[in-house]
Amino acid sequence: MFRYLSGISLLLLTLTTNSYGQAPKLKDPIQFGEVTAADFATVAPTSRPDSAAPAEILCDFGKSRIEGAREKFQVIFERVARIRILRKAGYEWATVQVPLYVKDNEVEELQKLKGITYNLVDGNLVKDKLDISKAGFKEVIDKNHRLYSFTLPNVREGSIIEFSYTIKSDFVFNLQDWQFQHDVPVRWSEYRATLPQFFRYKQTIRGYLPFAVQETQAVPYSTSYSEDAKDGFGNRLTMNSGHNAVITGQALQCRWVLQNAPAFREEPFMTTARDYIRSVNFELSGSDFSRSGNDYHDVTGTWEKIADNLQKEELFGALLKQNAPLGAEAQALQKAAASPAERAAAVLALVQQQVKYNGQERIYASQSLRKVCEQHLGSSSDVNLLLVQTLRAAGLEANPLLLSTRRHGRIQTNLPEQSQFNYVIAHVALPDKSDLLLDATEPLLPAGVLPERCLNGEGRLIATTGRWVPLVPAKRYVQFTTAQLALDDKGGLQGKLHLEYDGYAGLEARKQVLALGESTYQTQLTRRWSDWRFTGPLVLQGLQDPSKILQADLPLALPAPETPAALLYLPLAQTLGQLTNPFKHEERQFPVDFSMPHEYMQMVTLTLPTSYVVQEKPANVVLALPNNGGKFLYSVTQPTPSTLQIISRLQLLKSVYSPDEYGALREFYNRAIAKHAEMLVLQHK
Amino acid sequence: MRFSSLFLLNTGICLTTALAAAAGGKEPHYPVATLAPALRENAHAVIRTEEETLLVKSAGRTVRTVRRATTVLDEAGANWATQLVYYDQLSSVSYLRGTVYDAEGQAVRQLRASDVKDYGLSDGFSLATDARGRVADLRQPSYPYTVSFEYEVVSDNSLFYTTWQPQSDEQLAVEQASFRVLTPASLPLRFQERHLPKGVAVAHSQQGDLQVYQWELTALPAQEEEPYGPPLSEMVPAVATAPTTFEVQGHRGSLTSWQDLGLWNYELNTGRDVLPEAVQARVAALVKDAPDERTRIRRVYDMLQSSTRYVSVQLGLGGWQTIPATNVSNTGYGDCKALSNYCMALLKAAGVQSYCALVRADEPDIRTDFPSNQFNHVVLCVPLTKAAKRDTVWLECTSQNTALGYMGSFTGNRHALLLTPGGGQIVCTPRYGAAENRRERRADVYLDAQGSATAMLHTRRTGLEQDQFSQLLHGLDPAQQKKRIAESLPLSNFSISKFALTDDAKAAIPTINETLGLTLPQFGTPSGRRVFVVPNLLSRLPAVSAPVGERQTDIWLASAFSHADTVRIHVPAGFQTESIPAPVKLTTAFGTYSTQMQTLPDGTLQYVRSLHMPRTRFPRTEYPAYVEFRRKINAADKAQLVLVKTES
Repeated sequence: MFRYLSGISLLLLTLTTNSYGQAPKLKDPIQFGEVTAADFATVAPTSRPDSAAPAEILCDFGKSRIEGAREKFQVIFERVARIRILRKAGYEWATVQVPLYVKDNEVEELQKLKGITYNLVDGNLVKDKLDISKAGFKEVIDKNHRLYSFTLPNVREGSIIEFSYTIKSDFVFNLQDWQFQHDVPVRWSEYRATLPQFFRYKQTIRGYLPFAVQETQAVPYSTSYSEDAKDGFGNRLTMNSGHNAVITGQALQCRWVLQNAPAFREEPFMTTARDYIRSVNFELSGSDFSRSGNDYHDVTGTWEKIADNLQKEELFGALLKQNAPLGAEAQALQKAAASPAERAAAVLALVQQQVKYNGQERIYASQSLRKVCEQHLGSSSDVNLLLVQTLRAAGLEANPLLLSTRRHGRIQTNLPEQSQFNYVIAHVALPDKSDLLLDATEPLLPAGVLPERCLNGEGRLIATTGRWVPLVPAKRYVQFTTAQLALDDKGGLQGKLHLEYDGYAGLEARKQVLALGESTYQTQLTRRWSDWRFTGPLVLQGLQDPSKILQADLPLALPAPETPAALLYLPLAQTLGQLTNPFKHEERQFPVDFSMPHEYMQMVTLTLPTSYVVQEKPANVVLALPNNGGKFLYSVTQPTPSTLQIISRLQLLKSVYSPDEYGALREFYNRAIAKHAEMLVLQHK
Repeated sequence: MRFSSLFLLNTGICLTTALAAAAGGKEPHYPVATLAPALRENAHAVIRTEEETLLVKSAGRTVRTVRRATTVLDEAGANWATQLVYYDQLSSVSYLRGTVYDAEGQAVRQLRASDVKDYGLSDGFSLATDARGRVADLRQPSYPYTVSFEYEVVSDNSLFYTTWQPQSDEQLAVEQASFRVLTPASLPLRFQERHLPKGVAVAHSQQGDLQVYQWELTALPAQEEEPYGPPLSEMVPAVATAPTTFEVQGHRGSLTSWQDLGLWNYELNTGRDVLPEAVQARVAALVKDAPDERTRIRRVYDMLQSSTRYVSVQLGLGGWQTIPATNVSNTGYGDCKALSNYCMALLKAAGVQSYCALVRADEPDIRTDFPSNQFNHVVLCVPLTKAAKRDTVWLECTSQNTALGYMGSFTGNRHALLLTPGGGQIVCTPRYGAAENRRERRADVYLDAQGSATAMLHTRRTGLEQDQFSQLLHGLDPAQQKKRIAESLPLSNFSISKFALTDDAKAAIPTINETLGLTLPQFGTPSGRRVFVVPNLLSRLPAVSAPVGERQTDIWLASAFSHADTVRIHVPAGFQTESIPAPVKLTTAFGTYSTQMQTLPDGTLQYVRSLHMPRTRFPRTEYPAYVEFRRKINAADKAQLVLVKTES
């Protein structure tokens, strides 16, 4: 991967630098082992708003720097953490898991692990050391992942625990990420990265809370590097010790501090916690080992560069140039289907029939597209690169489009880093210059509608001219309910219910049908109307064709009250479909992200016998959210003396609502629910 | 390959058939067309054939071979196209092979070695575990198709033999399945047949030096668990097997009785309850002034709960053998065995004799009529020797919060194997009935003329009713507790003005008190001159859906309980009651239910509801009556009160 390393010339070995202005040396915020009895006193947990937190991170300090080694550079990451365990529920903080990555001969190694538990026993500080021979375990998770776990001894309520370790990593491409916030309060979290001038990194900073310190300064830098002696063919000479050199120069020291961060809590309708938690991470953008600083080798650099690299990659662009395994079928479609959009839909269906999505979100294919076809199973990249290739074979202008799924986090378009992406779909340029986005991983959606996971900002088109393409929902989430009901003389109701699920509501319902099977789905569906009796079977229509609205019909009856009364109270809108407020909490810190606009509509037609008259009916109402965010309409009309029509329509017109709009959104739901609860009062003559 | 020639001989018939078919090339395998329609009914997948073999090589080694072909009918059955083969330090996977056939029975994909992934099955809470799995994924984009898997696991842990239950899931039919056990005559098999169809029985034969036991099942239609019914394992055929002699890492034991199994466990852990002298002295000092047995136990248990924590380590024999008590005293942590053993050692230092007991926690109880290792947890049992009447204190040693003597839904109301020097003994853990599992609620609701209300509720929960609230109280901070409670309230529009959970340490049975203040903007529904109010604020019991067709299985309810609610509704001035719900009283075999509403002298309306459910098991024929009982409760719980504005 780091081919430029082998190109390090003698020039580098003689590299010396002028003296640089000395920056004042930064003091570390924490020294391992320096907890005193006084530290227990300075923590007054009960006086703090987060006093009931199970644990508190007193200080979490991480440092990354690049060092030379034999024939390579390494990232040295050091971490020291001090945590106060406040309650028994916080004991889990005394067990630490460190994930480590390995690939071929390159490894991440955990070193210098130390830990101490401090307890105050009768005013005396008692220290218990971590014994890693008994309390440290390394697990092989899979080919590329190891998990190192350790647990600290004698942890009680009130203990302070401390641990420190170093990770020596061969992967200079990424530094260790740093997460400043956790689900317990953090008093001080600091990360420093020392980046020598010959490596350049791009930083991604996420989250909302303001940093107490965010600074960058130049510092002197030196490291030693050794190179094996080689013969004229590049073979290593074992008898010769090679060259050793000290590289001195300048480095960039970046420093971030987050202070007094409250515990992070997830809320409903969020993309991923990663988008909201303060964190920094790095990706290598290039290197320059020359003295002049004029020999910069860009490894990622720009979005265009990333695209160029991907086009050449064996498991990305190169695959698309190989013979299409579905080429014959594609050519047949080219002859048969008329418009490009129809042809694209036909190719999409073809790929969906051939390959099942295995749930893995990837940008690189796992193997050749021919093998993907043979196995009939693949990742998002396997499936959708095959789709791109087959679309091309059908004569369409198709290209891959990279994106980041909602689970993976928001794209920052100003930071060209390939690791921001985790998923690929297909883009087709239609003759009218419009964009058609296709994803073959979701056979339950019609062509042009992306799975919800993809509705996340913008995607990058990987083509001769790359650009950002907005990933907007092509459909809404629509539930439509109609009921035709007749009241009988005794106050019982009979009739039929007709349900329609359109757009993403259709996807949701179809997914449930597939996961449960049709009969179990029907049973579960009918449980939603527990008051009603079903007088016939539920009939589903349009299940097979995702371009159609999914419809369900079921005949039902509501028995008459056991004791006849002069007045009949019917909260009809409520009985036919409980509207629930998804927002139980009074406050919200983060935006509400619904992914797509929603609409719930209900229409009830009620026929009355001559023996009943309407005594009272709910008043008509129209509510609107600010900024054209949504509308609620409720009306009861009586077109004829014996007919009543109740219409309720709730529309959420935006996909995302800011925290400022939360109060209004919650109240909007509450009022709609209250309206649904209102009674229709009928009097028996 | 660990095939013995003997083993090949035994499976020779099916292997040669398979090979002949493979050589022929086009002969279909498991074509879907040949599947009987009755087996497709209500099934997501059908096991076409399953051959499971357990070969006992020696007291310490077994080889389990499975060959299974499953037709996947739809997406909900697609899990059957994936296979996880579990292994750990004491076992290894010899091979995992797979093939996919299309609906016509033609092979469309062979599993390659490179397609099989190997994962550590880290459970997310253990500090260390040796559990690993080989995983294959042969899912296909269109249905139906058939997947066949073959694998072999060699195990050096003969403590567990197979429990054969081919119909291992709901909505899974079985066309044909067989199970064979081959074992040397010196290591006879013990087995228990469960729910076998008429005419199916063990076929016993001899092959060379080996005893062969064989079962075969055919044409089992798909099953479904019924609501409020027993789990699937109570409905479908199964054969449990167990050794007579076993050996794990050099520890040999015999297993013909509970006494044997208990003895092996006892001896495996013997001598591991020695404490450092300093700790012994500390315990002695702790109980010096406490002659009473129960006080001693309480003090020791307090010491345990305040100085230790649960850390799970699952490695090899460590699954059954505890780490020594000295280690726990040095580090302050351990798993269920280690903490129970440590507490046993502490009690011994306090002059109290106790015993570790194996249980199956959080899952259906063990089968006491088939001695075998069915356990997953250890608790401590302390028989009181000086009590006036026979009494026992049970201790859950992995929890830092559980009340002394309490075994909740995790370990209560089931059997345990007591480990004594004389061997194992089956005993019962505490059982909690309707008198213990109580929820009592008192609510005052202040209604205004617009229908909104404020309410103050006090709820006292005891026994099993408090289990999850105890977890909330001890596991989360108050802000999070409030959030969880808010999410669980069956109300559409409310805000919480006051909230507190506290435990009542003085109560004889674990008790959690909850104080809840609510603002309810839509408690009453105003409609013209009237306001409609459902007085049953939080205790509405949903109805049970009517059975589709005839009820097949008995009624199994989770636990006995009793609920009592008193709601006082303070009516605003200018309103009078137009109608109040009529009293309801239901007395049935399942339990009793009553509601009653009355106007108190000061004009307050008082609603009293009581539901008492003392029993949990009823015959299947009673199901329609149970549905009717629940329907009536549901109707009564929704009854409303109508207030009308007085003209003034």
